[in-house]
Amino acid sequence: MEEKRKGISEDWLSLWLGLVIFILSLGVFAGVDILGWGTKTSTWTDLSKTLAPVSKHFETVKGEITKIDGQKVTIKKADGKEDTLTIKDTAGLKVGDKYEKKGISGIASLLFTYLFMLVVMGIGAVALRIDIKKFIIGFTIVFGVAYICWILGHYGYIAATDPKKAGIAWSLKLTGEAGYILALIVGLVVSNFMPGLSNILKEATRPELYIKTAIVIMGAALGVKAAGALGLASAIMFRGLCAIVEAYLIYWALVYFVARKYFKFSKEWAAPLASGISICGVSAAIATGAAIRARPVVPIMVSSLVVVFAVIELVILPFVAQVFLTKEPLVAGAWMGLAVKTDGGAVASGAVTDSLIRAKALTTEGINYAEGWITMTATTVKIFIDIFIGIWAFVLAYIWCTKIERKPGERIGAGEIWNRFPKFVIGYAATFAILLLICWPASKAIGILEEQINPLKQEISAAEKKLPTADPAARAALNEKINAAKDKIKGLEAQIKEPRKTISNANLATEESNIFRQLFFVLTFFTIGVVSNFKKLWEEGIGKLAAVYILCLFGFIIWIGLIISWIFFHGVKPPIITG
Amino acid sequence: MPEEPKLAEELKKMEYEPLLPVEKKLIGWSIGIGLGLLAILVWISYIFFPGGH
Repeated sequence: MEEKRKGISEDWLSLWLGLVIFILSLGVFAGVDILGWGTKTSTWTDLSKTLAPVSKHFETVKGEITKIDGQKVTIKKADGKEDTLTIKDTAGLKVGDKYEKKGISGIASLLFTYLFMLVVMGIGAVALRIDIKKFIIGFTIVFGVAYICWILGHYGYIAATDPKKAGIAWSLKLTGEAGYILALIVGLVVSNFMPGLSNILKEATRPELYIKTAIVIMGAALGVKAAGALGLASAIMFRGLCAIVEAYLIYWALVYFVARKYFKFSKEWAAPLASGISICGVSAAIATGAAIRARPVVPIMVSSLVVVFAVIELVILPFVAQVFLTKEPLVAGAWMGLAVKTDGGAVASGAVTDSLIRAKALTTEGINYAEGWITMTATTVKIFIDIFIGIWAFVLAYIWCTKIERKPGERIGAGEIWNRFPKFVIGYAATFAILLLICWPASKAIGILEEQINPLKQEISAAEKKLPTADPAARAALNEKINAAKDKIKGLEAQIKEPRKTISNANLATEESNIFRQLFFVLTFFTIGVVSNFKKLWEEGIGKLAAVYILCLFGFIIWIGLIISWIFFHGVKPPIITG
Repeated sequence: MPEEPKLAEELKKMEYEPLLPVEKKLIGWSIGIGLGLLAILVWISYIFFPGGH
């Protein structure tokens, strides 16, 4: 019988998918807006206004011209908001004229987004050598359901952080990320109560593929952020590395001891269980299982348990963090990375925690933390965990071979580390480094000149305050001072025109790729729900395995994770947005 | 196609294996190195990667 050819691994595929989207997003640097039609979902009270293309280039803008400055034309729209457009030929335009720029509708942008994702993921499905017809049907339903959840999560009464601004009396203030939780709940309903539908979705139910692709894309946005705060970014990375070294050494040994000593598990069960509970769920359980030559059934069983408990943590921990860790946002981020045991669950928890803590800090303390740093911390910790799985599996394989189950002639090569190395991490590192290298010189140049511009702005503001009470002679002197400062600012601004353009392009590129990152996140949440079949696990006799899992996870893993996160991240705060 | 093994059955099949001295050593060393490194890593991160402290 001819053996069915094996396709690419999900790990490699996620690397390529993420890189394709990243490279397309870079088109803006060459003046080509390739992904600008991607659909952006905003908080809504009127459903017709929730969807729009992410880039202004594709948006329909209609209104009255209020200002023309070279090629920059400011338009006042029907809702009173102003928008500035760059128009090549402004010769025939004047202030007060009506202006309309045709774009694409929100529904059309959603349709384009779906078709793009279908083609890209379809190619991925071919590379995976899975049934393409089943994949297309499954993916279409997964995309549809997940996106409906995403839109519902943006409903004003659920998501708005400032209800007054949204024109409503109250809101749960959960931010649009509530859509993730909704997608997860719907996924759980499908998994546990609709086995027929769950089966139809099987080929497209790939949470690890979706989250790894999202992480590759996310690297770019984090690279831009890091360029603006290199010291903070390097601190997060080093501390993340320290946190996981600690977690590996302490967690694993404790769980292994508890499983062996008190629950009487055999070595074959205890090692994958310890890795699954303590390190990084599925991949660690599988890598450890392979390292100690356990039968395949062992890591598979442990993995299904890991996925289910990651869902429970995902639903609970971000809200616990919001209650207790608003003053230590990055401790919360690292905690999610350390405590939630799947890539999808951890990064997703980081994203939800990011939204919840920022919303709370803004409403209760008036602190507007920059978005994404909590997610970045959770992701950094998780990625180091993934990288170390290979090393840890190698160490365990070596100990098992040479000390515990000594078999003559068996040798472990260092190539095992590469085999176990999560390849999507290469994509994350590449997108992060490329954007960091593009943006860092620009950020540095802007930073240096802003140090000169900001005092001048303060000077202008102080002089303007004095103007109303000044006598004519003093007023003339003040005006002269203001004009001189403004001229200086103009001169300095001219020097950083190019760096500002670079940062603006980088922001647009990452904003566009971020649309797909969010989309992969929603798909992750929904499909995590779909693979979490509590009923099946219960029927299989989860009892003893679940008992050791619950004891270790809630007994000390979560708390040691919190302590380690606290030790390495307390006092480290995300940048604060002012003004 | 062979039937998927049930978790409960697999767990029943599991035989008791006492904790070997080498395993105790592995656990002890792992936790020991972890605690020892904790102090060093905290020191390095506070000194060289202050990040707001």
